Amino acid sequence: MKLECKTEELKSKVSLIERITGKNLTLPVLNSILLIASGKSLKLRSTNLSLGVEVEIRAKIEKEGIAAISGSVLNGVFSNIYQNENIHLEVADGNLLIQAKKSKIKLKGQPHDDFPTIPRVAGTSFEIDPKKLSEGIRSVYYSSSPSDIKPEISSVYMYTDDDNLVFVSTDSFRLAEKKIKIKGIPEIEGILLPFKNVGEIIRVFGDLTSAIKICFNKNQISFSSDDVYLTSRVINGIFPDYRQIIPKTSAITTGAVVLKQDLLNALKISNIFSDKFNQVNLRISPKEKFFELSSHNNDVGENKTNLDAAITGLDIELSFNYKYFLDCFQSITTDSVSIKLAGAGSPIMINPVGDASFTYLIMPMNR
Amino acid sequence: MNTKQLWKNCLAEIETGISKANFSTWFKNTSIIKEDTGIIHIGVPNEFVRDWLINKYHKLITKTLADAYENMRAVEYTITKAEKAEEELESAIENETAFVNKELPLKDLYINQEDNLNPRYRFDSFIVGTFNELAYAASQAIIESPGTKYNPFFIYGGTGLGKTHLLQAVGNSIKEKYPNKKVHYMTLEKFATDFINSLQNNKANSFKEKYRKYDLLIIDDIQFIGKMEKIQEELFHTFNTFHENNKQIIFSSDKHPNYIPELADRLKSRFSAGMIVDVSPPEYESRLAILKVKLKDLNLNLDQEIVEYVASAVDGNIRELEGNLNIIVCQYRLKNKPLSLSEVKNLLKNNMRPKKNMAIKDVAKIVSEYYKLEETSIYEKTRKKEIVKARQVVMYLLREDFSVSYPLIGQKLGGKDHTTVIHSCLKIKSDLKDDPQLLQELEQIRIMFK
Repeated sequence: MKLECKTEELKSKVSLIERITGKNLTLPVLNSILLIASGKSLKLRSTNLSLGVEVEIRAKIEKEGIAAISGSVLNGVFSNIYQNENIHLEVADGNLLIQAKKSKIKLKGQPHDDFPTIPRVAGTSFEIDPKKLSEGIRSVYYSSSPSDIKPEISSVYMYTDDDNLVFVSTDSFRLAEKKIKIKGIPEIEGILLPFKNVGEIIRVFGDLTSAIKICFNKNQISFSSDDVYLTSRVINGIFPDYRQIIPKTSAITTGAVVLKQDLLNALKISNIFSDKFNQVNLRISPKEKFFELSSHNNDVGENKTNLDAAITGLDIELSFNYKYFLDCFQSITTDSVSIKLAGAGSPIMINPVGDASFTYLIMPMNR
Repeated sequence: MNTKQLWKNCLAEIETGISKANFSTWFKNTSIIKEDTGIIHIGVPNEFVRDWLINKYHKLITKTLADAYENMRAVEYTITKAEKAEEELESAIENETAFVNKELPLKDLYINQEDNLNPRYRFDSFIVGTFNELAYAASQAIIESPGTKYNPFFIYGGTGLGKTHLLQAVGNSIKEKYPNKKVHYMTLEKFATDFINSLQNNKANSFKEKYRKYDLLIIDDIQFIGKMEKIQEELFHTFNTFHENNKQIIFSSDKHPNYIPELADRLKSRFSAGMIVDVSPPEYESRLAILKVKLKDLNLNLDQEIVEYVASAVDGNIRELEGNLNIIVCQYRLKNKPLSLSEVKNLLKNNMRPKKNMAIKDVAKIVSEYYKLEETSIYEKTRKKEIVKARQVVMYLLREDFSVSYPLIGQKLGGKDHTTVIHSCLKIKSDLKDDPQLLQELEQIRIMFK
């Protein structure tokens, strides 16, 4: 293998896919990035057997060939080369020789025969603006369960509802749902993207501007743009039927609208005084025009914050984990927030005012 | 053929041929799912592994399998859910209990949304005894040729006797056998709510479409249809569409269709057109078999003596049997040592269905109330038709439900001879055979006893 390509492009692509190499796997070759020089391009490939990615860089190929080089080493080298000129790569005796303007580097290669292929996905496909995909995922994925016990909720669930692509995540203590309008999207019954992979997916595609193509079947999903192909396994399971637990409008007994910033500040103060369970109490009384957050900790002290709010309905008092509440603010862009309650034992429902696309549920604590 | 053993042998051989790293990366979590006329289906955890096995190791696998199993014709790879190591699960569960937060009430984590079937209900775990063998045989025939043999198929029987299990197992088997067929399981209540919603949203047509696209419709607990006239009509039309297109439809109920109150005649006759079978409570041997299967599922060994005791002591339905078994299992796990028979007896004591004990006077009172008679008239010497009937019902119930002796019944009900009582009981018994009205009356009276 012998080739020449743009330094900047190679640098950025290596750092993009290095994260997807397999760490701590029994097969050492998975730590590496596979470089394939053929035709008019250099392909870089990495996989951790849950995700697989392949990127293409335009290059002047003098001699075709393949090499497998440790991803972390490669990334370490390239992130410290600064030059505008092209860079030269060459494979000799299984080692990769890098010829930069001011340095010569030799990297030890690994036998590349054992480097796995990356599955090509056949199935339903559609196109999507990467901004929308990343908005959808970002709005909900923090609610996923990080544990592997129930793989179906350690995931971001995507399905279509008319023209909407709906993203949902839950760890069974709270739940986030985001609807994104996409014209002409084919019907999707449900895809479960593994929680561990969604971060990488947004990282790889989040900054792109041109549409990407998604192709999926019941085992695998792929995302592809002009020069990047990424495939992830999907979780084989059934996402719980969460729609039944969203409180119905008829069941709502108390409603309040508050300014987001006020609420955020109040929660942050409560945080200082909350106990090890992150417990914060909420008391709403429409008659007394009263919306109060309080928390207390035997070692620190206690606090009560009264917020200005438009309140309707019945008196209510309950407690919840403030962390779950804070999490949802990253998905709320409006100035005010609507909080709806259907009794002390039912989930708290949070919506941005004037934006029906996002819904967030928190289960109150039972102490 | 023991596929587990076969795969184990093959893996041992494959392991020697390739590097340890490769072996543990690609062959961990693989298994033989099934063997079907020489085609061996190998389960792999994901597409990466499948691709790689096909590309790199297909020859090796085929050769090794062929050496070990001569009938092998081909190897196929299927992606299955990886099984998790048990310890991992346990430690994780411990962590989780640290939470004080309540969980969101997501109950049906495992129910398939599309067809509503619970994959837990299969024929593997269905126990066939004399009490349900007819229902079982009929359902097997239906799986063999859905839509043609017994259409509609109507199962009835008391609560907790495995009707739902049977229905769902039929659904699951059909889904497996004919992957293209659309199966749908629902309760009547769901059907009714759907219908009402569609009326509210002026989408009556889409409602019709929704159900008619299925190839197999299973409706559970249909006995509640009595009061719902509109829904009977809709069900009637849905039913006709299914029947015309030779699509299978299955119902369950806790009563024979003839005894479902206010059921329209046209539906009654349609139900009777197919096959109506009943499931009765399991007899002792079946109860014993059921307990043994459940214990095996739970991976638990109980003394034969205890199992026999539970089977003989709980004579109600299967659900109660399960409940009582769970109590024992729970205690067993709590104490972490085998339970003795007397402990078990003590445990179950509180859970036995209390033997109803009622004064003869109270029975007479309830019955007279039901028939809107004066309580005293029961004890009178009179041959008025309505009073005679009520009195006979009292005698019958005392004898059947409370095992009061014939002479005592006679003596308490106005000094009748014991032969009179015997005659009354026989009379009601024979009337019951051809008078559904009477059966209903008795049932309603029995409810009033509780």
